[in-house]
Amino acid sequence: MNYSHTNINTATDSQTSVQATDSRQTAVPFSFAQQWEFTLKELRETLRDRRTIVTLMAMPLLLYPMLGLGLRFLAFQESSDQKVEYRLAIGSETEGAWLSEALQLGNSLLAASSEAKEQQPAPDVQLLVPNDPSEFDLEALVKNSAADVGVRVQLNEASVGNQFPATARVQLLQSRDSVRSRDAADYVQQRLAAANIDWIRQTSELNGKPFRLPVEQIRVLLEPAETGSAVLGLLPLILLLMTVTGGVYPAIDLTAGERERNTLETLMALPVPRFRLLIAKFVAVVAVTMLTGLMNLLAMSITLYALQLDKTLLGGDGFTLGLGCKLFLALSAFALFYSAVLLLLTSSARSFKEAQAYLIPLLLLSIAPGLVILMPGWNLASGTAALPLVNMLLLSRELLEGTVALLPAIVAIVSTVLYGVAALAMAAQVFGNDAAAIGSRGGWKDLLQRPKEMSIQPSITAALVGLAILFPAYFVTSGILSRGDAQPTGRLGLSAAMTIALFVGLPWLLMRWQRIDVLAGVGLKKTSWHYYVAAGMLGIATWPWIFALVVFAQSIGIRGIDLSQIENVEGLLAGWREVPLWLIVVCLGVVPGVCEECFFRGYLFNGLKQHLNATWTIVVSAVAFGLFHVVLAGGAAPERLLPSTLMGLLLGWMAYRSGSIVPSIVLHAIHNSTLLIVVQSRDLLAEWNIGQVEQVHLPWLWLAVSAGVLGVGLMITRLAIKPAPFSTKEPETI
Amino acid sequence: MIELSQLTKVYGEDVVAVDQLSLAVGQGEVYGLLGPNGAGKTTTLRMILGLLQPTSGEATILGCRVSSDPLRMKQLIGLVSASAGLYQWLTPRELLQYFAIGFGLSLEQAFQRTRELAEVMELERFLDRRCATLSTGQAQRVNLARALVHDPPVVLLDEPTRGLDVVGAKIVFDYVQLLRRSNKAIIVCTHQLEEAERFCDRFGLLYRGKLQYEGTLAELRASTGQPSLVDIFLKLLRDDASGNGSSNVDSAKEAVLAQ
Repeated sequence: MNYSHTNINTATDSQTSVQATDSRQTAVPFSFAQQWEFTLKELRETLRDRRTIVTLMAMPLLLYPMLGLGLRFLAFQESSDQKVEYRLAIGSETEGAWLSEALQLGNSLLAASSEAKEQQPAPDVQLLVPNDPSEFDLEALVKNSAADVGVRVQLNEASVGNQFPATARVQLLQSRDSVRSRDAADYVQQRLAAANIDWIRQTSELNGKPFRLPVEQIRVLLEPAETGSAVLGLLPLILLLMTVTGGVYPAIDLTAGERERNTLETLMALPVPRFRLLIAKFVAVVAVTMLTGLMNLLAMSITLYALQLDKTLLGGDGFTLGLGCKLFLALSAFALFYSAVLLLLTSSARSFKEAQAYLIPLLLLSIAPGLVILMPGWNLASGTAALPLVNMLLLSRELLEGTVALLPAIVAIVSTVLYGVAALAMAAQVFGNDAAAIGSRGGWKDLLQRPKEMSIQPSITAALVGLAILFPAYFVTSGILSRGDAQPTGRLGLSAAMTIALFVGLPWLLMRWQRIDVLAGVGLKKTSWHYYVAAGMLGIATWPWIFALVVFAQSIGIRGIDLSQIENVEGLLAGWREVPLWLIVVCLGVVPGVCEECFFRGYLFNGLKQHLNATWTIVVSAVAFGLFHVVLAGGAAPERLLPSTLMGLLLGWMAYRSGSIVPSIVLHAIHNSTLLIVVQSRDLLAEWNIGQVEQVHLPWLWLAVSAGVLGVGLMITRLAIKPAPFSTKEPETI
Repeated sequence: MIELSQLTKVYGEDVVAVDQLSLAVGQGEVYGLLGPNGAGKTTTLRMILGLLQPTSGEATILGCRVSSDPLRMKQLIGLVSASAGLYQWLTPRELLQYFAIGFGLSLEQAFQRTRELAEVMELERFLDRRCATLSTGQAQRVNLARALVHDPPVVLLDEPTRGLDVVGAKIVFDYVQLLRRSNKAIIVCTHQLEEAERFCDRFGLLYRGKLQYEGTLAELRASTGQPSLVDIFLKLLRDDASGNGSSNVDSAKEAVLAQ
C-alpha cells in the first residue's frame, strides 16, 4: 500500500475550523442537504433489505384477497334479510293442525296485501307438539325459552268439522323480557287477525252484506339511516394494523439493530446532535410505514371493487378517489404517530430480541381499541377525538361511513400528530444514550427521572410533551365549558380560570418537576422600553388585518362556523350586554393574552430554541398557536388558522427581538382587548354600516391607518437595540 | 494536543473504571495506552470522544475542553474501533460519503475525499460492493479510511489489529505510520504488547483503571528493570498479586501471553 503524504493532507483547514453560528451545541450547522443525506442512508439501509420489501408489497397483495372473501360473506350476511325461526309450543296435534292452517291463511292474506313490499321474508315456524299432552307445560316452556311463544287454542267443539275454519279462542303466552318472544307473538297475532278479518268478510258476503273494515292499518318498515356495519368497523382496524407492520422492522433495525451490529458508536461519534440522526431514521420509518399503508389501501380498494363490495359496504358511489385521499391523510397522521412510538420503544433496546419484546405488548395493546370501536355508540366526538389510536380508528370508520364531522376530524389529526412529535422528542433523549457504555442502559428511566440540578430553560422534549398534553386538554375543557348553563359572568370567570390552569398551570408544573427556574423558563425578563411601545402600537393596529383575513377566508369558502353557530355567538354577545366591559376585557382579553404568551412564546418557545434556530422556533410556535385557535367550543374555525398563525409569527418575532415575553404579552393583550371592545361596540358600528362581526370587510381607511401604525411599530421593533442573543445563557430577570 | 487531567469514571457507587488518569499526547506522537481487558482503555477513549461523561477530571483537545463543546470536539477526532461494524447494505463509497457529510464536508468535498481515500487505502476494487460482501481485511481498511474522512488532527484507535492476520496487522502498522507523518496525535489502545512496541513512541500501562507506568520503552526499561512490555506487565501483575495476598503469577503470565 503506497501512502502519499500529500494525498491525505489535501483537506483544507476550513474542514476542521468550526464556525459556530450561535451558542447551540453543534459544530456542523444544519442544512437540508446534509439532513437529506442522513435520511438517504437510512432509506438505503431499510429498502435494500428484502424483508422490508416483502412486508411492504407481498403481504397486502396476499392478505386482502383472502380477507375479501371473508368480508364478502360477512357483508352479505349483514345486508341480506336474515331468516328467523319461531318456535311455537302448542297443546295438541289437533290444536297444531288448526293453528297451522290459520297461520297459512294469514300469511297468504298478508302476502296479497299492499304491505307485502315492506314485509320481511316469512320466518320459519316450528310447532312444538307434545307426545304426551298431560305432561306438556306451555308456561314452563316459554319461561325457560324452550319455546318463543306458547299458543293455547280452545276450539269451539260445535264448529269443528262443520265449517272451515273452526272458531276458537286463542291465548298467546309470551315472555315479558324477550324481544324474540314478543316478535313471535306479534307474528302469530297478525296472521290470526288477518284470518279473522277474512273470515268476517266471507261470512258477511255469504249473508249478502258487503264488508269493509272501518279502519285500515298499514305498517311500513324503514331501514335506519346509519347501518353501523360491523364490517366497516373491521376495515379500519385491519388497515391501520397492517400499516403498522410496515414500520416495525425498520424501527427495530435502525435503532436496536445499530447497537447489535456495533455501528452505533461510530454514528454517535459524528458532530451532529442525536435528534438529527434520529429524525433521519424517523423519516425512513415513516416512509416505509406510509408506503405500506398506501399498498394496503390500494389492495383494499382493489379487492372491494373486484368483489363488488364497495357499494354494498360503503353505499353511494362506493370507494371514490376523494375517500381514498382522506383515508390516506388519516393513515399518514397515524403513520407519523406510530412510527414515533415505535422508535421511542426501540431506541433503548440493545438487540433485536429486546426490541421485539418491547413491541409485542404494544401491538397487542393496539388491537384493543380496534375491538372497542366495533361496539355500538362509539363515534368520533369530543370525548374520543383526542384519544390516541381510538381517534384514528373512529376517523377511518366514519370516513368509510361518510358520517365524519369537521371539528373532531381536525382534533383527531392534530392531536395524533402532536402525540407523534412528543414521542419523537422523547425518543431523541433516549436514542444513543451511553451508546458505548458497558453495562449501562441509558433508557426510559432518563425520561422519567427528575433532574438533579436547576436549569434555566426547558428542553425541547419537555416543551413538545407539554404541547401534546395541552392540546387535547384544551379541546376537552373547551367542550365542557360550552355545555354549562352558567350565567355570562360565571362563564367568563370559568373561561379565565381554565386559561390560567392550562396555559400557566401546566407549564409551571412541568418546570417545577424539571427544576427549571420558572421566570427564566418562560422568559419573563426586562427589555428595552422601545419594545413595549412597539408592542402597544402593534396590539392596537393588528386587529383590523386579522379581522380582514378571517373575512377573506370565509369569502373563499373556508368556513367552519355555520349559521347555527353564528346564532349561538349572537346569543352569547347578547348575554354580555349586561356584563361590565372591564370584566369581559380582563377575562377574555388580558388573561388569555398573558397566559397564552407564557406558554407559546415562553415555555414552548424556549424549549424549541434549544435545538432550532430563530426562524424555525418562531414558525413552529406560531403554527401551534394557530392550530389552537382553530378549536372553538362547539365547532372548528379553520378560517382562523391563517390569521392566528400570522399573529403567532408576529408575537414570536417580538419575543425573539426583545428576548422577553413581556412585549408579546402587551401586544397580545392589547390586541385581544381592542377586538373585544370593538365587538361590544357593534351597535355603534352598525350605525356606521359595519354589519355582523366577521362578515363584512372594514372600511379601507381603517385598514390604511392600521397599516401605517403597524409599519411604525414594526420599524421600532426592528431598529430597537440589538436583540438579545438567541441563546441559553442566563439573562437578567425581573 | 491531547491532554487528560485526573480523568475519572465511576459506574454506580463503587466500580471505578478509570481512576484519575493524566497524560498528554503531542502532535505526530503515537501513544500506546496498554493494559489487559477491563483496564479502562476503551472507557478512556470514549471519554475523550465525548461519548461518556467523566465522573471528574477533564479531557482537552487543542486546548479546548471536551465537556464544554462535545459536538465540536468530535469534529477533531477520528475513531477506529475494531468492534465497530459497517453498514451491511451500503457500499464503502456510500459509507465514506455519508460520514464525510456527517463531519461537515459538502457533497463535492465528500466525493473528492472518498476518491482520495479509496486510492490511498486501496479500496477501489471493492468500493461499490456492499459492505456485507467484504472480507475482514477489506472491512478493516474501510474502517480505517472512515476515521480519516474529515482529516482530524487526533485519531483514536481501539484494538485496531483485533481479528486481523499478519497482512491485516501490517495494514494497520502502515496506517499508523501515515498518521504519524501527517502530524496527527494518535492514541492506540491495545493489549497486544509486542505489537505496540513496534509502532508506539510512548506507552501508558493501565491496570485497574490506574496509570501504573508511563514513558518510552527505554524509560520503562530503566525504571522497571524489565526488558520488554510483557515483562513489565507481568511484574505489575506480580506486584499486584503479592499485594493482594495471592500468587497466581503463572496463570497471569499465561493470560498475558495468550493475549
